[in-house]
Amino acid sequence: MTIPPFIWCIVLLWGLTPAIYLLGRIGQQRDESPGSPIARWAALAAMLAAWIPLGMAITSFADGPARYTLGAMALEFDGLALLLSVLAMALGTLAVIYSIGYMAGSDDEEKFYAMLVAMIGAIVGLGCATDLFNMWVWFEAMAITSYLLVAFYHEQPGALEAGVKYLVQSAAGSMLILLGIALVLLQTGTLDLSEIHAAAVTSPALLSAGGLFLIGFGVKAALVPVHTWLPDAHSQAPTGVSALLSGVVIEAGLFALLRVITALANVTSDWGVLLMGFGALNMLIGNLMALRQTRIKRLLAFSSLVHIGYMLLGFGAAIYTGTLTGAQGAMFHVFNHGLMKSLAFMAAGCFLYVLHAAHSDHSALVADDLYGAAGRYPFAALAFSIALLSLGGLPPLAGFMSKWQIFVACFNSGNAWISGLAVFGALNSVLSLGYYAPLINRMYRKAPSAVIENGPESLPLSMLVPLGLMALAIVMIGVWPVLLDWLSMPSGLALMAALSG
Amino acid sequence: MIMSSWLIVLIIGVPWLGAVVLRLVDDRRAQLQHTLAAAFACITGAVSVALLFFSSGEVTLSLPLGEVFGVFTFVPDAFGVSLSAIAAAIGFLAVIFSVDYMQGEAQLGRYYSFILLFIGAMVGLVLSGNLLLLFFFWEITALCSYVLISFYNDDPNAVKGGLQALIVTQLGGVGLLAGALLVQANLGTYQISTFLAEAHTLPVGVLSLTAFGCLFAAAAKSAQAPFHYWLPGAMEAPTPVTALIHAATMVNAGVYLLARFYPAFEGVPGWKTAVVAVGSITALIAGIMAITAVDLKRVLAYSTVSQLGYMVYAIGVGGVFASQFHLFSHAIFKALLFLAAGTVIHSVGTRDMRQMGGLGKSMPFTRAVFIIGSLALTGIPIFNGFWSKELVLESGAAVGPNWAYIIMLIGAGLTAIYTIRMVWMVFYGTPASEEHYHDAAPFMRVSLSVLASGVMVGWLLVGPFGQMMERTLPYHHLHVLTLPELFSEAFRGAPLTLTIVFTGFALYLLLRKFTALWDQFDWLVRFADLDFGFSWLSDRFAGAVQGVAESVRVTQTGQLNWNIFGLVLGLIVILAVLIVGAA
Amino acid sequence: MSLSPVTIIWAGVFCLLGIGLYGLLAVRNLIKVIVALQILVKMAMLSLVAASYSVDKLALGQSLAVMVMVADTIVAVIGLALAVQVQQRLGTLDISELSRLRK
Repeated sequence: MTIPPFIWCIVLLWGLTPAIYLLGRIGQQRDESPGSPIARWAALAAMLAAWIPLGMAITSFADGPARYTLGAMALEFDGLALLLSVLAMALGTLAVIYSIGYMAGSDDEEKFYAMLVAMIGAIVGLGCATDLFNMWVWFEAMAITSYLLVAFYHEQPGALEAGVKYLVQSAAGSMLILLGIALVLLQTGTLDLSEIHAAAVTSPALLSAGGLFLIGFGVKAALVPVHTWLPDAHSQAPTGVSALLSGVVIEAGLFALLRVITALANVTSDWGVLLMGFGALNMLIGNLMALRQTRIKRLLAFSSLVHIGYMLLGFGAAIYTGTLTGAQGAMFHVFNHGLMKSLAFMAAGCFLYVLHAAHSDHSALVADDLYGAAGRYPFAALAFSIALLSLGGLPPLAGFMSKWQIFVACFNSGNAWISGLAVFGALNSVLSLGYYAPLINRMYRKAPSAVIENGPESLPLSMLVPLGLMALAIVMIGVWPVLLDWLSMPSGLALMAALSG
Repeated sequence: MIMSSWLIVLIIGVPWLGAVVLRLVDDRRAQLQHTLAAAFACITGAVSVALLFFSSGEVTLSLPLGEVFGVFTFVPDAFGVSLSAIAAAIGFLAVIFSVDYMQGEAQLGRYYSFILLFIGAMVGLVLSGNLLLLFFFWEITALCSYVLISFYNDDPNAVKGGLQALIVTQLGGVGLLAGALLVQANLGTYQISTFLAEAHTLPVGVLSLTAFGCLFAAAAKSAQAPFHYWLPGAMEAPTPVTALIHAATMVNAGVYLLARFYPAFEGVPGWKTAVVAVGSITALIAGIMAITAVDLKRVLAYSTVSQLGYMVYAIGVGGVFASQFHLFSHAIFKALLFLAAGTVIHSVGTRDMRQMGGLGKSMPFTRAVFIIGSLALTGIPIFNGFWSKELVLESGAAVGPNWAYIIMLIGAGLTAIYTIRMVWMVFYGTPASEEHYHDAAPFMRVSLSVLASGVMVGWLLVGPFGQMMERTLPYHHLHVLTLPELFSEAFRGAPLTLTIVFTGFALYLLLRKFTALWDQFDWLVRFADLDFGFSWLSDRFAGAVQGVAESVRVTQTGQLNWNIFGLVLGLIVILAVLIVGAA
Repeated sequence: MSLSPVTIIWAGVFCLLGIGLYGLLAVRNLIKVIVALQILVKMAMLSLVAASYSVDKLALGQSLAVMVMVADTIVAVIGLALAVQVQQRLGTLDISELSRLRK
């Protein structure tokens, strides 16, 4: 049996992880410097190399999902996997490029890049898993690499604290998932997701298993009330990692949740209701928490809660009513949110970089540090504005289009409650402008803050390139939303197929 | 593609291309920025004029975007081409005016870029034949308006005004969003023409929700009560922006929306009454506030709110043609008034009318054009405002409720009072300082002269305008007028309104000196200064939301045990929901 | 219902779940938190083995348990490493001191 290309993508990413570490280590010893330039370029090379098999997997996707079986274990590159791997690889590559400038010269650079690449590999694997336990293993691999990345600045009390909280809450959730897996195994006698779908009937054990999955994967996907780790972890991680955590890791958790929920679709029709309920809660709590934030990365972290809420609304509507539009819209929003939030984090990271460079400290970037940012760093300020306005759902930017599609699905359900939730979502978008817009106003003031005034003349090119690419993509998708149909359509279809078995 | 589709591509594409180009030009090359902006705006204006000759009720340009987003269509009907001509032409004049007005300002690239983006979006808004596309452009105009209001970001008032405008219009936008989605969900299409044709097949409840959703959106966008308070706050924008966005174009979008969907909504029970009520109440309270305000731009802002009230009222009484005609007149004379006021502010350096006075001597040109605009505003023949306002009142007299008609007549009197008060305080009376101020600069004069001549002769176009509407708007069944008909129609009610207007003039001029009498109305003045409590309410509401947000923050305790508590709590709630659901 | 070994094991699973969660809710020492996490890990492994025994796939359950062991040893190691860092940088293992990030 020939090995399909998507397997090569995972193999390359994981296989090159030790190489990145070792090369970086060797280079470090040779130069006797804290940073290791070799690790940066090795990581970039690994990411670019992994694009080759992924590209082949994408082009051959039209022939139907590729499947690879090894013993009892099977991996399948279906629509969900397609979206998740493209998102993870795209953002991962951009994050590596961005970190070339951002992380230059920091201690343990080689570990940073090795973990980053390994995390992307785990996410791609997670997308392809077809049985429950295999999925858990990928999920845990992703979690472990992300713990290390969150606590990367381990000499900083804030990062340590965030790492501990993230680890404990996440690991506890992960044990609940295992208990759920045990209950599913007990009831259905199998771990394969499609066999579970066929065998599942309403029973207390499967209901509790579903509840355990919701909370267990919900920790990673940041459902309120298990979101409490997220603002800490996402704000304390190095910026490139924050971008990935918000842009793809929580979405990976959500995808895992969707896979198990759809496998248990026959157990009860409440899954959709629960998802929509969490969606509404996430939007409201996320917005209220973000409204009064002054620390920018924390604000962006809370805004991730809000956007998970929109996705949950779309997925919930799709699962509850069985309409494709909701699934497709939410998938579209997953991708757009990845772009918007990564862009927001990376652009904010530019100012954080300025802050570091100006004061060489790890204090948080606060809103007032942005005063006059556009004067000296017009490009980063423009990119940040685009990201924020897109998150706020203003056209002609990507966020508008995917939110619209989710709302269309809600109204098309014909259910007054779900339509009401869409209006609630729209009102939340308005509320969110209450904290996005003032940040933009601050940047376009003329009088600069001390941080900006003492900052370097210009930013490294490697930080500006990802900003430019993502900002351009956001505008293009906003003007011409069908650009992403090749991703959102198959993934939406895959979700609906999983739902109906 | 046929000629008109190319024109539509150009009329949106050119200003948007300009917006991108202006963003890329280095801010140190100000002269190049001025030139480029003027060039792009000029081309857009020319295209919009050309498009006037290609009006049709058919879809001219369509871009299919799949099932969810529908077909993006553009229809160059009478509403579309006339309003895009206004947007592009006044946009061009505002840009020309800015060459002098914004001389030496920083961040010109951002300024011009958003003005051009706005022009393209406004044109797109009125030309689009698809509800999603309409909403898309609708929101872009709100974005541009926000950015340009808070253009002077260092000024806290400008920031507050911009945010308020953004939030209020976005809030209104939710109404339009809900309406558009209801139409899509029930008819399976976003096409406005299909909606107008098949509106009667919709369930009454759905159609009512859509109609009132659109009224909500229109009230927020066109600064109608109870949302009118954002427009005075928007006066922090540079004056050319105010003239373009907050007088001549964007604020008309609400009126446009109501006019566009009038055939679908007119049968909805209570809708027309609600529209009349919104329009007339707004016209009244804005008139009162305009009398008490002392900031020149705020007086004009309240006056805009009040005139928009007239247009909304006209739609409520079925006078769609009258409302569009007034919109057309108002766009020109109010742009003229704002730009002339901008000239004054630019010279004097303040917006407070108490620090002006006697400026007529040093600024004769500005005085002349300002008075032309004022005469049109008060409705003195033969200026364009006279004809359109008479038409609005005539439609109201014929079919509308009497209470509303009386309110509108009182409104005409209030208009006369605040207008003459404004002219007097700025150009006559005793000068507040001995300084000699310079009159309008050359580029400013060009804009002002063009607009002033538009005020004097623009109404002559009523015949072709009406014909175009009749030809391209199949669902509206408009009662349009030719020029002779306009004469007889307008002069039927003119004696009454002119009496009221001149009474207003006389009242102000005679009673101006009796300060003791004015003091009697002190309570009204103070109440009006508070926007009749609406902006107070809005501030309280915003404060309450902030307060709730602050108190929710205690849930993030930062304690690890608490985080685990969230996990346990979530598990219990989910299991409870599942048990209840299964039972 | 007779008290079969399987029932007893499941009872043990839920006891361990309760103890683990209670530990995470109540203890203040970071090391004890990690111990409580480990109790949850044992709960998970026990449940997997019990479930696979009931459906007659014991080999599957045992291999799953081994995998869980591997994964959670890594988690425990990282957790302990973080604890060491916390002790070194902050001079305490009391998790109530670890609450600088809030609101």
